[in-house]
Amino acid sequence: MSKAILEVKNMKKSYGDLAVLKDISFQVKEGDVCVILGPSGSGKSTTLRLATMLEQMDDGSLIYEGKVACESKQGKAIYRGKQELKKVQETYGLVFQNFNLFPHYTVLKNVMDAPVSVLKREKKEAEKEARELLAKVGLEDKCDAYPDQLSGGQKQRVAIARALAMHPKILFFDEPTSALDPEITAGVLKILRDLAKEKMAMVIVTHEIAFARKVADHVIFMDGGVIVEEGRPEDVIDHSNNQRTRSFLKKLEEA
Amino acid sequence: MKNNTSEFLKIGIFLFVLGLLFSQAGIKGEAKEKTFTVGFDAEFPPYGYADPDREGEYIGFDLDLAEEVCKRAGWTLVKQPIDWDSKDMELNTGSIDCIWNGFTINGREDKYTWSKAYIDNSQVVIVKKGSGIKKLSDLAGKVVAVQADSSALAAFTGEDASEENLALCESFSDLQEVGDYNSAFLNLDSGAVDAICMDIGVASYQVKNRGGDFEILEERVSSEQYGIGFKKGNTKLRDQVQGYLDDMLEDGSFARIAEKWGLSDAACLGKEGTDAAYLLDQDGAGKPSQKKKGLGFFLSVVKQLSKGMLASVSIFVLTLLFALPLGLLICMVRMSKIGIFRWIARIYISIMRGTPLMLQLLVVFFGPYYAFGIATSANFRFWAVIIGFTLNYAAYFAEIYRSGIQGVPKGQREAAFILGYSRLQTFWKIIFPQMVRRVIPPITNEVITLVKDTSLAFAIAYAEMFTLAKRVAAANASIVPLFVAGLFYYIFNFVIAMAIEKVEEK
Repeated sequence: MSKAILEVKNMKKSYGDLAVLKDISFQVKEGDVCVILGPSGSGKSTTLRLATMLEQMDDGSLIYEGKVACESKQGKAIYRGKQELKKVQETYGLVFQNFNLFPHYTVLKNVMDAPVSVLKREKKEAEKEARELLAKVGLEDKCDAYPDQLSGGQKQRVAIARALAMHPKILFFDEPTSALDPEITAGVLKILRDLAKEKMAMVIVTHEIAFARKVADHVIFMDGGVIVEEGRPEDVIDHSNNQRTRSFLKKLEEA
Repeated sequence: MKNNTSEFLKIGIFLFVLGLLFSQAGIKGEAKEKTFTVGFDAEFPPYGYADPDREGEYIGFDLDLAEEVCKRAGWTLVKQPIDWDSKDMELNTGSIDCIWNGFTINGREDKYTWSKAYIDNSQVVIVKKGSGIKKLSDLAGKVVAVQADSSALAAFTGEDASEENLALCESFSDLQEVGDYNSAFLNLDSGAVDAICMDIGVASYQVKNRGGDFEILEERVSSEQYGIGFKKGNTKLRDQVQGYLDDMLEDGSFARIAEKWGLSDAACLGKEGTDAAYLLDQDGAGKPSQKKKGLGFFLSVVKQLSKGMLASVSIFVLTLLFALPLGLLICMVRMSKIGIFRWIARIYISIMRGTPLMLQLLVVFFGPYYAFGIATSANFRFWAVIIGFTLNYAAYFAEIYRSGIQGVPKGQREAAFILGYSRLQTFWKIIFPQMVRRVIPPITNEVITLVKDTSLAFAIAYAEMFTLAKRVAAANASIVPLFVAGLFYYIFNFVIAMAIEKVEEK
């Protein structure tokens, strides 16, 4: 058995009176590609924001590689100190839905600035690696371009390179196909598969079933703030016994 | 009129014609009723000033006389308060018919067509009681205030100033020009100046009305006379008015009005030696004043204004130097997590944006004395201007920065957070550069406004460009200095706009 990179236990989150997440628990193992599926409003985006600490959960625990970010104590999630959280943060990366590249930096600087400023790496070394990563995603000729000169697909690849430059153990993707044309989606798919081959653990939030089927080792289906079904893609997507899963899948196929 | 138009440059002629058209239109619009427009400095009691009891009304000795003249002539009196520095332009463009406002003849004999002198006045010095200044020679090394373009100023620096007065003026540490007597007294009270020189009539009125804190020196700076100033060559109107005045002297109404205003001692109409200036202009015999045109005059104006240009540029540069970073600091406080800080910044910004800059300048300059009794030194004037401008502009910049920061998408902060940037790094590396881009257009607007706002420094009598231009314009009875000032502001702004465009390209 490979070890768990990410452990989420009994995660709860409410906005005012609205309970968005009601007791979510799941694990992501080394090299695992986990796809979180579900209709909009199901809580999958909130799950991603809480797992990446963009927001804090109300109750539950969050553990990366055995390093605790927060633990449940008397019904409340107690977060660790700033320094500890910084260490935890180095474990994971996130590719935003709209990429959030820094518009005032060149592509190269977008990728190499955080390794230099945050991880205090040697500048030359960081630049060399940034160029390699950009070559890997097919953008070696765009190093000196600015983000607003790139297409959506190119921006996404820069965002992936930027995340990889921090050497994460696990990478989150928020709706990676939503801002892209179908043919570009194929390119992203290839990159994700290559990453999976290199044993990069990934958590991908999407509502595209076809995409999920092609890339996932492990599918979590969410609805109404709970995990409805979880398992191998062929079980969850193609042979689901759950009524809610099937009606959601049916709706998507009709659309 | 023809004589004067030749003095002006093309723009001057254009404005002049425009003024002429308006004045003609005014007369036509009034049908048969003839108006008589008296120009006066509304802060010059007892000759002409705002009625403290009735808002918007003006009263005074001169206005009473004018009222009486109009009654006799069947004219409608229009009391027109004017900016003293612009009096010649007002007169030349016909927007006023005469200057009637304790108007000193001496030294201006050739510039106007004069009535006979009706008040004998002398220049005296007012000091704070117990200042130790007893005679004129005690003023050596002191700061003396005079009203801009007043007869007191002329007595010290004018072409006809006496040798003694020139020497006396030389002995002062500074001769400070102020806009009006109110600020002169504020200056005296706060210790920014040691003495004020002014007309005796005004002096006794002011000293009496301001409580017992001030006293008039016995020794006088000069003696002089008041008359009514008409546009050079307008003897027709002058003779009409003089006729009515003579009648009033005859039947005692002149004496009655003089007594009402406590000026019986000073009244001199009809006495010997009061018609020297009057006799200069008989039936259009008025000779045109010195020609002022051509490149030479233009260059001399530029030279006279150069000190003001430097002053304006200094205000501009120093204000930006201090206000741009201070604005950022205020913006930080305004966006602070601590509620009380946020509120303090909010109130500060609201006050700075909600009150006139001119008022803020006055508060900065006079505030230290009135609030804490700290005597103000004369060179604090410049720093008061810089402090006032900086405090005001920083408030505007703070709000611009804030909207710039809020305009940076939330995702930028989130991306920086995920990558592990510290709060400080996130601000300086990610948010700040993007904010700068966003705020360049609104900051440009403010910067251009600042160039023009530098002229507000006149509020505390700091001689920047525009104040100086008005003075030179008044002294030369020419619009060229104002034109030069306009050109200066335009070129200044043009250069700024170019510079900002260059920055924006980066």
